[in-house]
Amino acid sequence: MIRTDVVVVGGGLLGCATAWTLARDGVGVVLLERDQINAHASGQNAGSLHFQLEYRMVERGLEAAQVAAEAMPLHLDAAARWSELGEAFGPSLGVAQTGGLMLAETADQARVLEAKGDLERSHGLDVRLLSGDEIRDVAPYLSPSIVAAAFCPIEGKADTRTAAPALARAAADLGAQVSTRTEVVGLRRVGRGWQVSTRHTDAVGNQVGEEIQADVVLLAAGVWTQHLGQMVGLDLPIIPLALQMNVTARTPKFLPHLVQHAGERLSLKQSQDGTVLIGGGWPARLRRDASGRPRLSERPHLLHDSVVGNARAALRAVPRLAGIPLLRTWVGMTTVAEDQLPVVGPVPGRPGLFLATGGSAFTLGPTFARVLADLAQGLEPTIDLAPYGPQRFGESIDVA
Amino acid sequence: MSFSFNGQPVAAHAGETLAAALMAHGVEGVSLTRDGEPRQPLCNMGTCFDCAVTVDGRSLVRSCLTPVEDGMEVHSWQNH
Amino acid sequence: MAEPLTCDVALVGAGPAGMMAALTAADHGLRVTVVDEQRRPGGQIFRQRPPEFPHQPWTPPAGYPWASSLLERAESATDIDWRFQTTALGVVHEERDDGILLATTGPGGSALLRARRLVIATGAFDMPVPVPGWTLPGVMMAGAVQTLLKSQQVLAAERLVLAGSHPLLLLVADQLRSAGADVAEVALARGLPTPREALGSLGAVPGHLSLLGDSARAVARLVAGGVRISPRTVVTAAHGHRHVEAVSLTQVDRQWRGVGQARRVEADALVLGYGFQPSAELARQAGCAMRWDSPAGGWVVAHDDRMATDVPGVYAAGEPVGVSGAEMARSQGRLAGLGVVSDLTGHNVDVELEEADRSARRARRFARVVQRMFAPQREALADLAGSDTVVCRCELVSRGAIEQVLDANPGMSTANAVKLECRSGMGPCQGRYCETTVGTLVAGRTGRPVAQVGHFTAHFPIKPVPLSVLGELDGDVTSGACAHRHHRAEGSQESGE
Repeated sequence: MIRTDVVVVGGGLLGCATAWTLARDGVGVVLLERDQINAHASGQNAGSLHFQLEYRMVERGLEAAQVAAEAMPLHLDAAARWSELGEAFGPSLGVAQTGGLMLAETADQARVLEAKGDLERSHGLDVRLLSGDEIRDVAPYLSPSIVAAAFCPIEGKADTRTAAPALARAAADLGAQVSTRTEVVGLRRVGRGWQVSTRHTDAVGNQVGEEIQADVVLLAAGVWTQHLGQMVGLDLPIIPLALQMNVTARTPKFLPHLVQHAGERLSLKQSQDGTVLIGGGWPARLRRDASGRPRLSERPHLLHDSVVGNARAALRAVPRLAGIPLLRTWVGMTTVAEDQLPVVGPVPGRPGLFLATGGSAFTLGPTFARVLADLAQGLEPTIDLAPYGPQRFGESIDVA
Repeated sequence: MSFSFNGQPVAAHAGETLAAALMAHGVEGVSLTRDGEPRQPLCNMGTCFDCAVTVDGRSLVRSCLTPVEDGMEVHSWQNH
Repeated sequence: MAEPLTCDVALVGAGPAGMMAALTAADHGLRVTVVDEQRRPGGQIFRQRPPEFPHQPWTPPAGYPWASSLLERAESATDIDWRFQTTALGVVHEERDDGILLATTGPGGSALLRARRLVIATGAFDMPVPVPGWTLPGVMMAGAVQTLLKSQQVLAAERLVLAGSHPLLLLVADQLRSAGADVAEVALARGLPTPREALGSLGAVPGHLSLLGDSARAVARLVAGGVRISPRTVVTAAHGHRHVEAVSLTQVDRQWRGVGQARRVEADALVLGYGFQPSAELARQAGCAMRWDSPAGGWVVAHDDRMATDVPGVYAAGEPVGVSGAEMARSQGRLAGLGVVSDLTGHNVDVELEEADRSARRARRFARVVQRMFAPQREALADLAGSDTVVCRCELVSRGAIEQVLDANPGMSTANAVKLECRSGMGPCQGRYCETTVGTLVAGRTGRPVAQVGHFTAHFPIKPVPLSVLGELDGDVTSGACAHRHHRAEGSQESGE
């Protein structure tokens, strides 16, 4: 039996950042990861530091956008924290906040950008509309078909390949225990704390069980959060999603911005290695069992429409991509709540259990990490969690 | 027939692959690493990409799979 | 289904397995499309000269007297839709899957093949060995030297050292010498077969005597020609400035570990022939289960007795399921073809299956003996790399960099995690030439078997292509190419084409 202050479940960016934050605060922490650090969504997502409302949030009209804009305090906080992390960690995080553009190709899209900008500015985000000529000056690589663009100077990117492992190493250096190939198989309240049952696969392939006692458990397990919630009688209304991403061969640097589109699914950026990452939320297909339940351990299927659609969207925005070799198209899984807002905060009726999930856990990871670390230490988070907490789902989530 | 490689003419036979013609011509850097080091075909069967060239503007073409065509403009492909 | 089928069976790879599967399926009235990157059928082992070259009779390689007639049958099979110089990019899906969608690109542009079954017969490639200096021009794989010589009539160098462990190396050395090259030395990592091994192999020999005979004759010619053949010797470095000028050879023990001093041999080329690795990226990308089998080449595709993989509708035959030579590939191609036929048409092919099964069993016995005798010592080969030796040739990741990453991240114990963290395997070859070394290094460092360390995930496209190719990946531009085939399979209606 191991005793610790806090168990963090999940070795993605959020789990690693949380473990590091706690260790830095002098809290004893054990990080559990069933696979490898950074093996899933954190290492597979686009690494966009996007703080404007995304296409998926504006495509359903102004009302939905207004709901999504409620997450703006998280965005602003995350932008500042990424910047601090970038300075503290240097190239291993690959943080570059050199500005993001959201493109419009039609007058309608330009009007969407205008309305979106008004909404965002009212929530404190610095975003301004560029006209055609200004766009040519700022981003000569863009297609002449782009008629307007919303520019947000604090947007940018971080390196999904290396960010989470760098934070895990930093956490370990400060005394956190980082355990990979260690799955949580049981979670129950014991006394004033929690008992976490784990199963570790050792070097010869044996499954070794270990019990961990902790005052606090933090769930940062992406799509697996729902499964962990079930261990304590929770039915979280979050939906797993499979998405595709693409990366090109290295090419001389030409694309300093994060590029998104107001009218379709597109995100573009050039990594510090020189590769161009192309995404935007094009769907892949989750594998499901006979009764329709998603099989999270299987790689989702790549969809032909997404392969073609994503390539075309990228080519239309940045025509010079046509000749650049595409190296890989891969799939990953994330999860969203129905209202598209994150799910962060204390689990009602389960003292000492907190979670953060619901998408954008890379982009908003440093903020979620601070919030979880504060909650774990009984501190009042600096952000009002009322709009984001699991309590907003009411008693429907409680099946215990 | 002939084609150009990095601006220099290279003679070739019909049916030859670019890789074979470049090897026969004694070309050192069919492709270049991002450090500028020369590479020559390693596998000659389309798997290693060490023989990659740019052909008439098309990037990362495997010269070992590409038959020579008269007048082709070929350049070393460089990883960046 | 909205779109018409391209064919009943899509086949990738026109080597012995692919040709055999294609001919078998076509003989039973199925519409077959074959995709291959070369210009003519044959694969690597039976690679032919380009049609423009002056005609010369094609001579089959040692031990495969049936190869010529198989090639002739394939080349005259006009009812098969052959798509040469065409690259398979991978399997994609639709919202409602009711068949196989294979993305390809070739001379006619991008195409999306719709088929009811897919047979993966993508062959093998020479096993990469990260010996110091292996990135220098002048270092080539045995298969490369051989295909350059035989199909392109280009002699790769003047004075060569061949180093490896596979019997093919001796045949290549002999061919090089006959073509006028100066073969400085052949370094074989293992010793000559012991009497016990020779005896053990006898049971497997029938049917392959000519191969053994050809190898023996090659050795005799090499020896008579004054070529030094050094057993228990590996190459430990290639030297030179911008090109190979010399190589170092070192005596080794039974585990291929160096004993004694290296000696330097002047040469302008080093030919590596330590065996073969399955080209199984398409199978991996399609989601097929893989199995670790080191003597059979490493990660191989798992399959049942009719060559079906665990992915519905996807078959694999030949080297992707374990490197076993052309005899085995031919038998497995036949099995896969028959498997597809019985699956799609309901024809009773039991007699043919039984016959194919018998020949596969015979071939397997021989293959197992060869695999056992020439199995690579992977740890010793990975250990040839010095700390600054490049392991990932595309991204220039050294062994030292990989080990530093493993040391800095104590919980890291998969090949994929190393790939993500240090980019080894993220360049244009997509990890084909570093995976085995990375896997071996991770296994050695973490004490976990390679089976636990795993392989790199293979992603679409399995060969990089310009982004524009994906944007054009719409329909089958050349579909209808085999529409003239009126001989429809009986079961063709069932999938609602």
